[in-house]
Amino acid sequence: MQHDGHVTTSDSAATRRRGPLDPRLLRRGRATLGYLIAGVAVGSATAVLTLVQASALARALGDIFATHTLTVLQQVFWLLVAVFAGKAVLAWLNQWLAHRAAAAVKSRLRRDVLAARLADPVDPGSSTASLVTLLTQGLDALDGYYSKYLPQLVLAVTVPLIIGIAILTADFASAIVVALTLPLIPIFMALVGWTTEARTRKRWLVQTRLAGHFADLVAGLPTLQVFGRARAQAEGLRRSEDAHRGETMGTLRISFLSALALELLSTLSVAIVAVGIGFRVVFDQVDLTTAFFVLILAPEVYLPVRQVGVHYHDAADGMAAAESAFAIIESAPTTPPRTASAPVPNAPRLSVDALSHTYPGAQAPALAPVGFDLHPGELLVVTGPSGCGKTTLLNALMGFIAPTAGRVLVDGAALDAASRRERIAWVGQTPGMISGTIADNVRLGDPDADDAAVRQALRQAGGGSLDPARGVGDDGEGLSAGERRRVAVARALLWVASGRADLLVLDEPTAGLDEGTETALLDALDGVTTVAVSHRPAVIARADRVLTLPAG
Amino acid sequence: MAYSAAMSADGPAMPAGRFWVLRLMPDAPGRTALAVLLAFGASAASVALMAVSAWLLSRAAEHPPVLYLQVAAIGVRVFGISRGLFRYLERLVGHDVALRLQSALRIGTYQRLARTTLLGSRRGDLLARVTADVDAVLELIVRFVVPVVSASLVIVATSAVFAAFSPATALWLLGSALVAGVLVPGLAQWLSRRYDEAAAPARGELAAGVHELARTAPDLVAYGVADAALGRVLAVDERLKRQDDRSAWIRGVAAGCQVLAAAVAVLAALLIGGSQVADGTLPPVMLAVLVLTPLALHEVLSTLTQAAQSATRSLASLRRVREVLDAPPVGVGDRDLPPPVAPGALVLTGLAIGWPGAPTLIEGIDLTIAPGEAVAVVGPSGSGKTTLAATILGQIPPKAGTVEVVGRVGYLAQDAHIFATSVAENVRIGNRDADDADVRKALDRAGLPLPLDRVVGEHAGTLSGGEARRLALARLFVGDFQAVVLDEPSEHLDALTAEALLDDLFGSFTGVPLLVVTHDPDVIARCDRTVELAVGAVPYR
Repeated sequence: MQHDGHVTTSDSAATRRRGPLDPRLLRRGRATLGYLIAGVAVGSATAVLTLVQASALARALGDIFATHTLTVLQQVFWLLVAVFAGKAVLAWLNQWLAHRAAAAVKSRLRRDVLAARLADPVDPGSSTASLVTLLTQGLDALDGYYSKYLPQLVLAVTVPLIIGIAILTADFASAIVVALTLPLIPIFMALVGWTTEARTRKRWLVQTRLAGHFADLVAGLPTLQVFGRARAQAEGLRRSEDAHRGETMGTLRISFLSALALELLSTLSVAIVAVGIGFRVVFDQVDLTTAFFVLILAPEVYLPVRQVGVHYHDAADGMAAAESAFAIIESAPTTPPRTASAPVPNAPRLSVDALSHTYPGAQAPALAPVGFDLHPGELLVVTGPSGCGKTTLLNALMGFIAPTAGRVLVDGAALDAASRRERIAWVGQTPGMISGTIADNVRLGDPDADDAAVRQALRQAGGGSLDPARGVGDDGEGLSAGERRRVAVARALLWVASGRADLLVLDEPTAGLDEGTETALLDALDGVTTVAVSHRPAVIARADRVLTLPAG
Repeated sequence: MAYSAAMSADGPAMPAGRFWVLRLMPDAPGRTALAVLLAFGASAASVALMAVSAWLLSRAAEHPPVLYLQVAAIGVRVFGISRGLFRYLERLVGHDVALRLQSALRIGTYQRLARTTLLGSRRGDLLARVTADVDAVLELIVRFVVPVVSASLVIVATSAVFAAFSPATALWLLGSALVAGVLVPGLAQWLSRRYDEAAAPARGELAAGVHELARTAPDLVAYGVADAALGRVLAVDERLKRQDDRSAWIRGVAAGCQVLAAAVAVLAALLIGGSQVADGTLPPVMLAVLVLTPLALHEVLSTLTQAAQSATRSLASLRRVREVLDAPPVGVGDRDLPPPVAPGALVLTGLAIGWPGAPTLIEGIDLTIAPGEAVAVVGPSGSGKTTLAATILGQIPPKAGTVEVVGRVGYLAQDAHIFATSVAENVRIGNRDADDADVRKALDRAGLPLPLDRVVGEHAGTLSGGEARRLALARLFVGDFQAVVLDEPSEHLDALTAEALLDDLFGSFTGVPLLVVTHDPDVIARCDRTVELAVGAVPYR
């Protein structure tokens, strides 16, 4: 019953290209290598116990059948008890090891993906929602890969070998049947998969698109209701659901075929072995004990290979998730080591020299070369039309992006991004809010600041009426965009007040403020070296220098 | 496609009772029963394959004429083939009925939600959750109902056949199968439920932590607290891992117990059957059948622990869906728009507003907005500005007083949804009868000269904040509205984009009463008057 993974998750074309064994997954799996080896050892030990069990049962059955007495049980009964007990312990170990193997990799990937997201803070790359999905349900699909598929892949070699040799020593003819049919399973699976792959993939695209329709409609319900169109859309939903089901069933009919081929081959092979050995028993070519021994073992040869097929789809889901995780991890820039040249006396506080940036793949630069010097206490206002690179400039100043050309010096010293950020207090265009209280958000950089300092910072930021104890939900829920900006400006001012930062980098700090509050905020900025993006006349009037960027 | 009559038209009546999911469709029980029968066929075939093979070998040892063995030989081959075929058909029928139920539940949920007012009710997370929870139907049918019911049938059938030859063996088989198939999975589910249930909030916490970290990444990095934030998320991950550890431990113990139960069945059959052969009460050919068949039967039961554990999750999901379905509708939900007429004044008289079932937020609102007049409504967050909008739109009833509007009231939400479809279809939300020329004109008026057939929305994700707002505005232009409510039109837009949009907005709605909910001084400055909502407000949360 593992196949329904299909219905909810998609596997990417990239996964198919790389095949079932992505070397990067194996590398990541180094943390779990011990568990994997233990898992394979447990599986192989189980196969050996199955051998002993088959041999003991076959002896018992053959002997009782021949002698009509129970004397043989004196020899085999306790052996069987011990074998079953051993298999029980191994079954428990197997579950536990499988889980541990997957858990270690999952935690590692979660950490690496989040660290990658933080290393590239302003480029989301993927949406927040898809990141959340990836790191929760998405990575859970790796359970199937590490705990079932990977160990099973090894067991598909070791177990048939162990049991096949046992059958070979007992009955040559049966061993031939097994040796001929076993390789057919992977060949048939590959054939079925190969001939249906193109069709499956095409259906996948349609299916994925249709699957999103319900979520899209439900998310848009408030909008539909306002226009009186919600009820009418139910008919469209019904049609799309029917189409979705049709496509899904079409995909499943094809992809369950490989499971069918697998089951048919393995059970039919067992049947052939059973019938063949049965007729040889009639003619006394094989004794009954050997026949039972082979009969009990025959299904066990095919089981691990069948399991590989069953878990293949689990693995495909896991690999698709891993693929997305690797894409994020590998696209993150590496953090440069801390470097700092000595400050130069009498150098400008902030010096920007021929700074420009072109995003990868873009034709034109997002920021044409700019340069300026800013001395302590000065206010530089950056203006320009939408898309001229104002935000790119601020991101480069903050070291969120590594500019393609140019230098940023603080007190004449070239600092690495992290050291530079320690000197700068920052307010972005859409400030991020952590859940908690307004005070928690103001204290983000300076957790030890006292209540008076928080209130003072809020007042300076034009948010004097905001209650520091007021709750802030996820994503700043409960605060308007304007209030959010006040809190973020207070956060920056508090950091400056704590003496850690002596530079301010602000994106539209006074948007949404009335004139009186705006003036108060500008007074608070007096004396702090500031770079501010703004188009407000009052801000420009206070500027020591105005940098107007040309349209991009 | 057959939905029950109750599902059609306006209000779906959700079936009651414990097995309500199966009653979503009249033919669901029949189709599910077919899937169960096919699953039974597949499992029974694999048990029968072992039983008949064992008989064949034993009988062969008695050296009968080969002809006597032919029937059994054919039986072995037939069971070998039929197991795979039954399994294939069972998967198709099972998935088909599960997908049909999923569709029915989705449509029913949609219709129910369409009838309850969702505007500004802060239920975005709930909507997203319902979308995911509905999918649990598939899991419930395919991973729980079909395997569990069919396995029970196999247990009963095998025990019944055994009883004909050796009642004592049959009893041991039945007992061991009940332990491995019912008691152990049930106990495992019961024991791990505590961890599974504790894992749910931990997963929610992990999701919330990842969400916050992604949304605030620049701020965290800028203020040098990124590592601390990462550490907090990883601590949740660690907690989740420990809970999963315990769950896996229980699964492992359950798997071990199932092996022991199989051992009991095999050894009991060997002892009892062996003594019966010794004292001549059992034909010797039956001994191997009695001893080896339990191995095949218990193989079938080994997946049931996972089935039981998955049931915990899917039933919890369906309970949450049910809560949404059973919640009484709020207001009217979907609006009925009257036919367009000549614009008139928007008059609020002694109006008291509040969410149905919640306390009154504001009372005594008296306001008249003449056609061509723009009035800014200001007030702190949570003071009921969106509630006022929903009341004027007629989606929720006033607590007291009256709302008089002439013709249709249009509404521009700050977060209007952009559907994953073409630009033209998105605009037609405002007027489904609009032809391409109308849509084109509306887009041009909204300052958004996009190609009509360009696909936008979630998966395309190609619109900026300003463009999305303009697309929503085009919906208002394409429809015929005699009064307009704007909700925070400049919110979340950068200063220049906001200014350009406001120019277009205030230049467009000149002949109708315009009510603007806002706290942006730039927007207030453009309005003719400002009305402040009293701060009698319920604080956030």
